[in-house]
Amino acid sequence: MLRSINNRISQVHLTSNVKQTIVAMLGVTFGISMYVFMTGFMTGVNNAQTDLAFSSLAHIRIYNDGPADNTNIAKKIYPNDIINLRNAKIIKYTEGIKNAASITSVLHNQPDITDITTQVNINVFFKNAGNKVNGVICGVDVFNENKVFNISHYMVQGNWNELKYRADGIFVGIALAKNLSLKVNDNLNVLTSDGVTRNYKVIGIFQTNVTGVDKTKAYITENAARQLLAVNQDYVTDIMINVKDYNKTQSTVDKVTKLTPYKVESWQMANQQLVAGSNLRDIIAVAVSLTILLVAGFGIYNIMNMTINQKIKEIAILKAMGFSGKDVTQIFLTEAIIIGLIGGVVGMGFGLFISKMVNRVPFNVSGLHTLPMAYLPKDYVLAFLFGLVTTFIAGYLPARKASKIDPVTIIRG
Amino acid sequence: MEKNIVLKAESITKYFYEPEKFQVLKGLSFEVRKSEFLALIGKSGSGKSTLLYVLSTMDTDYEGRLTINNRVVTGGTQNELAAFRNEHIGFVFQFHYLLPEFSALENVMLPAMKLKKRSKAEIEEKAYQHLSLLGLQDQALKRVNKLSGGQQQRVAIARALINDPTIIMGDEPTGNLDTRNTQIVFDIFKELSKERNQTIIAVTHDDDFASQCDRIIELSDGSII
Repeated sequence: MLRSINNRISQVHLTSNVKQTIVAMLGVTFGISMYVFMTGFMTGVNNAQTDLAFSSLAHIRIYNDGPADNTNIAKKIYPNDIINLRNAKIIKYTEGIKNAASITSVLHNQPDITDITTQVNINVFFKNAGNKVNGVICGVDVFNENKVFNISHYMVQGNWNELKYRADGIFVGIALAKNLSLKVNDNLNVLTSDGVTRNYKVIGIFQTNVTGVDKTKAYITENAARQLLAVNQDYVTDIMINVKDYNKTQSTVDKVTKLTPYKVESWQMANQQLVAGSNLRDIIAVAVSLTILLVAGFGIYNIMNMTINQKIKEIAILKAMGFSGKDVTQIFLTEAIIIGLIGGVVGMGFGLFISKMVNRVPFNVSGLHTLPMAYLPKDYVLAFLFGLVTTFIAGYLPARKASKIDPVTIIRG
Repeated sequence: MEKNIVLKAESITKYFYEPEKFQVLKGLSFEVRKSEFLALIGKSGSGKSTLLYVLSTMDTDYEGRLTINNRVVTGGTQNELAAFRNEHIGFVFQFHYLLPEFSALENVMLPAMKLKKRSKAEIEEKAYQHLSLLGLQDQALKRVNKLSGGQQQRVAIARALINDPTIIMGDEPTGNLDTRNTQIVFDIFKELSKERNQTIIAVTHDDDFASQCDRIIELSDGSII
């Protein structure tokens, strides 16, 4: 019953000045809805960026890193002697990955790896009569390539799976097609660095929205690429791996490094600017939202302080009648927490509403149609908890002050 | 302590430190019997109100020893004293100090809800009885800020009575009332002390009021005369 009388007093305080209560709640609502919206927006932007990046980027890439630095090879054997070596030349080194099948079979046994595909990448000149553009031909495993990069999603013309049956077929990037004045069913001549030329038929055009890729890349089958290089069936230049959680590549990289003599590189290592950009956005989102929550917290603090100053005589009389400091703290803290709870729930709803609205704003840049938005329950729960903690602190300080009021000084005036 | 002594003050001494050190109460000792109606009088600044707040246990900054209901209250913690006041002491102030957002009934019920010795239904029943006793049964469900000054003061008295306290203390309980209401309040106090054996200690400026009491303690410069 002690509970109920204190709660009854809190309830009467909250309901007798509804305007003030609503203003305090709006503070929390605004803080939490902004928090929800900001984090949702930033996560949405990060996700859009990631999707964009992973259209041409695997989570982990295995490749032959080329020969070691041999600019002064004699120094390795005679470290203390002075040796002058001029025009050092690499006579022969192994290019690419020769035993791809044995490596991929080992990789298939790793539980955290979801998809694997192999590629044969060749630097070439694309020629359409007099028009020459340099770029990269990517010989792919048609089925697995799509699983890792979801490339069929980016096809503007043609059907990705058709490549399987067309040893002479080639898919080109949209910008490359434009530069070479190519349409579907046109012929495209390719020249390798070894001087081999070959004609392919354009059977499709893709658009990844990464300009560098769309301008220089073309896909053919893996076997066609091997034929172009005159290498055996087990030759690949890259093994691309996707893992379950692209944020946790390091443990897989460590494991796979032990299994192969080749270079194993995560997307984070290869694209630190992406990681930095995404982390910075996260920090900005959190900083902005926390600032808003803090301001809301000050609002509640002010209103609670004001309420307590208004009710200082009532508090004194409650204490004279035998209510303890603890009761007084409880009364005012309950008020703050109820403001926090209701403000928080409304804030989550309002935040969802703002997010939905912003998510509809048209934004036609690089494959996006509207502003990106993420709706993670985690963000909503976190916002709610932050809001509650803020109101708790903002309510506790004035409540504690109220509990310390000396009834004699107030009543005697 | 004798059985019918409800309050015993032993050399109560108190200083004010602002603006400079000043002795307000100079070693006061006295006893108050059960069902006594006691008036504390004296000129402004004589220390009568200060003494009342010391007796009320709200002011703990004094020297000496105070025993109420055979219990030494000197040196108790704030929370202990709050619980003690709740059960044993009722207050009526010059200004009613009701909670303006509550009904008269709820104001009266508050101390009993805090004491929680009875169920809510019993408390409500009792609060109604007290309000009827004071002629306020029709005003029970009104918000107190809709009542007149005399009615508010009577609500405050009902509130002071709800826990059947041993002692009712009043700080100029009639100071803000007209003659008619003063008489009503006085009669209520008189009845409480005679018929319910409750002790009443009231600070007053009103000589008429004081002269009708059982006993008068007059203070001058912090001493009893």
